[in-house]
Amino acid sequence: MATAAVHTPVKSHSNIFSSKHAGGRVPLTPSPRTRAVANHSPFTPPAPARRDPEWQAEKKKQGNASRGSLHDTFSSMSLSTTKRSTSPPPAAKASAATSASPPLRLDLGLSDWNLPGASKPTTLKKARSAKPTKSTVRINGDRFIPSRSATSPTAAMKANHTRPGSRSSTHDCANSSDDVFGPDNSNQSSGEECEDYTSRKSPKSKAYEASIAEAVGLNLGTRILAFKPAPPESSKPIDLRTQYNRPLKSTISAQTRRRILTAPERVLDAPGLLDDYYLNLLDWGSSNQVAIGLERNVYVWNAETGSVSCLLETTPDTYVSSVRWSQDGSYVSVGLGTGDVQIWDVEEGTKLRTMTGHDSRVGVMSWNKATLSTGSRSGNIFNHDVRIAEHKTAELLSHTSEVCGLEWRSDGAQLASGGNDNLVNIWDARQMTTPKFSKTNHKAAVKALAWCPWQNNLLASGGGTFDRQIHFWNTTTGARVNSVDAGSQVTSLRWSTHYREIVSCHGAPDNQLTVWSYPTLVKNVEIPAHETRVLHAALSPDGQILATAASDENLKFWKIFEKKAGAASSSSRTATSGKGMTKQMTIR
Amino acid sequence: MSTNSKSSKTTASNKSKDGKAHKLSLKGSAKLVSEFFEYSINSILFQRGVYPAEDFMPVKKYGLNMLVTNDDQVKAYIRKIMSQLSKWMLGGKISKLVVVITSKETGENLERWQFDVQLLGKAATAAKSKIKTEKEIQEEIQSLFRQITASVTFLPMLDGRCSFNVLVYADGDAEVPMEWGDSDAKEIVDGEKVTLRSWGTSSHKVDTLVSYRLAE
Repeated sequence: MATAAVHTPVKSHSNIFSSKHAGGRVPLTPSPRTRAVANHSPFTPPAPARRDPEWQAEKKKQGNASRGSLHDTFSSMSLSTTKRSTSPPPAAKASAATSASPPLRLDLGLSDWNLPGASKPTTLKKARSAKPTKSTVRINGDRFIPSRSATSPTAAMKANHTRPGSRSSTHDCANSSDDVFGPDNSNQSSGEECEDYTSRKSPKSKAYEASIAEAVGLNLGTRILAFKPAPPESSKPIDLRTQYNRPLKSTISAQTRRRILTAPERVLDAPGLLDDYYLNLLDWGSSNQVAIGLERNVYVWNAETGSVSCLLETTPDTYVSSVRWSQDGSYVSVGLGTGDVQIWDVEEGTKLRTMTGHDSRVGVMSWNKATLSTGSRSGNIFNHDVRIAEHKTAELLSHTSEVCGLEWRSDGAQLASGGNDNLVNIWDARQMTTPKFSKTNHKAAVKALAWCPWQNNLLASGGGTFDRQIHFWNTTTGARVNSVDAGSQVTSLRWSTHYREIVSCHGAPDNQLTVWSYPTLVKNVEIPAHETRVLHAALSPDGQILATAASDENLKFWKIFEKKAGAASSSSRTATSGKGMTKQMTIR
Repeated sequence: MSTNSKSSKTTASNKSKDGKAHKLSLKGSAKLVSEFFEYSINSILFQRGVYPAEDFMPVKKYGLNMLVTNDDQVKAYIRKIMSQLSKWMLGGKISKLVVVITSKETGENLERWQFDVQLLGKAATAAKSKIKTEKEIQEEIQSLFRQITASVTFLPMLDGRCSFNVLVYADGDAEVPMEWGDSDAKEIVDGEKVTLRSWGTSSHKVDTLVSYRLAE
């Protein structure tokens, strides 16, 4: 009986309480605390008992002792206030922080002290009441002021600070000696306040606490463990910016990687070859003859027959600084140290003419039909029409230092020149007064220049010792389309006519030939070719064999662009023709 | 690698046993999650450039080309982490896995990838009327990895050499081998946080969060 009597008011009050809260303002007068306390005594006039079946059912469900009612009140009140108070995180945070190490024990102890009569939570409401018990504890006992102060950031920071402070404040609340709330406040109102704070805290359901703890990064039950061994060092520093600009997989596949012969096909002696980077002393003409300048002589080696002939010997006061076959393969132009340029008919073995004009040695030449362009040490490039008496047709003045690379495009529309001033100039055949593009990317002399056979406007250029770069240019737009660090001085570049490949010749330390795939710029093979730097290179007319001359006085032939078996008919000619020859032979 | 492939095989066979809408066992689910961790660590190391790209090789997984380290040292390091991690996962001892990227020069924490694992209770599982198919799970993981990959677009550039650490939030009663020691959370100070997609099996739910320092 008593149970019902006690219960009824509690229930109704809590309902009222919650609804008032929901209204927004909590009136001070009917303090839930006093009510609750009053209800506890059997003398309190019971509120009109609710006889409706609903309530009865609920009561039955609760099925708890009279003692439990107070507890229930608290829990239900607290729950109702929860809905109202939407912002308990700071307080909760603080509590979580406080309770970092031994929180559970503290609470338990307090609850004993606090509510001696409190019943065990009902089974039904276990989940709920577990927390409220704690909070109840805090109300009367220990925790609430601290939590309030915890709303101020400083207090929240120093979680341990809260404890001592809380002691005194607890007293305030419990005794209603009102330093905090002011002297006017009645006992009840202060109690109410207490309640209010309590209830703010109390709502912590398990999940809520967990989420808070998570937010703070603390969890009572968990440990943060780190895998202690240090991770392995990265093999090199990484710049993601470059990583995103290249394919993830390197494109060396079986298909692009073909077998390249790494042994020389033939080795010839080339005694007296000048070790001068700026000269161009080797050329392989379309008549399948190799011309090489050795000091004061020019020798012609016939690749068809293997015979060697001395084409010319200069006067003792000068030397051969460059040789170049005309496009039809019947004439050789010879640049001399004096600046003269001679044109020789190889078949007849006679000199056709001498063209003067340069005042210093002519280190490089290039033919475009009847036009011969010559570059000199002074940096001047002259175009000569070899058919007419007044042979000089143009002066291309741009380089300020020795010209060492000069190459006409196969269609004669553009001329590329490279110099010791680190410039790459691209000239338009229709307008020779100024270069169309002047590229300053190289950091050393540019000797190696090569036009791509399958893409007219693609030019490759390679820099000297301090540069080591191979750049690829679109000569229509002037844009650099590709670059690769070759690792050492680039002395010569030759495109393959059969494969999408380019071969570069290098100086120290490896003096190697490198075959690159284009445009992937994957190294297909690296052949250590000579004992000293590879000075000159020339490609056979059939495009299969590369001849290289180095200052180790060797002229070597490399079959690096061998045609596949099916298409090897034309190549067999050179092979058979060479059979009768010794592997090693001397030109001179 | 070998342990991993084995585990994936067993999960696969588990799954294939009774068709599409098969409910993964708790054990299978734990394996799936730890396998997921392994790929996430690898992906983060690759995407964030902790190790050079050429150290990684592509592996087909989750219907994607996942990049997995090919460097023996890194492989061994991750394997060591994973072997312990999968033990913990099976025991349900882990609530979080964190990958922290730190600068080698300053030792500062630059980026923090946090994977929260929720072990869904029996009740929750029962409540879910619909059980995810293998395909759905894979799709969820796939879209998360796509997000991780895409995250490089908003994450700040990591300058200089970086290193990484793996943290685990383990239950207090978890067995802890010698190599693992207590640590702080290595939070990013004043970090931005971005929550990525979640995925889950019927027994686990994995939430992913990346926090990073905003570039000055």
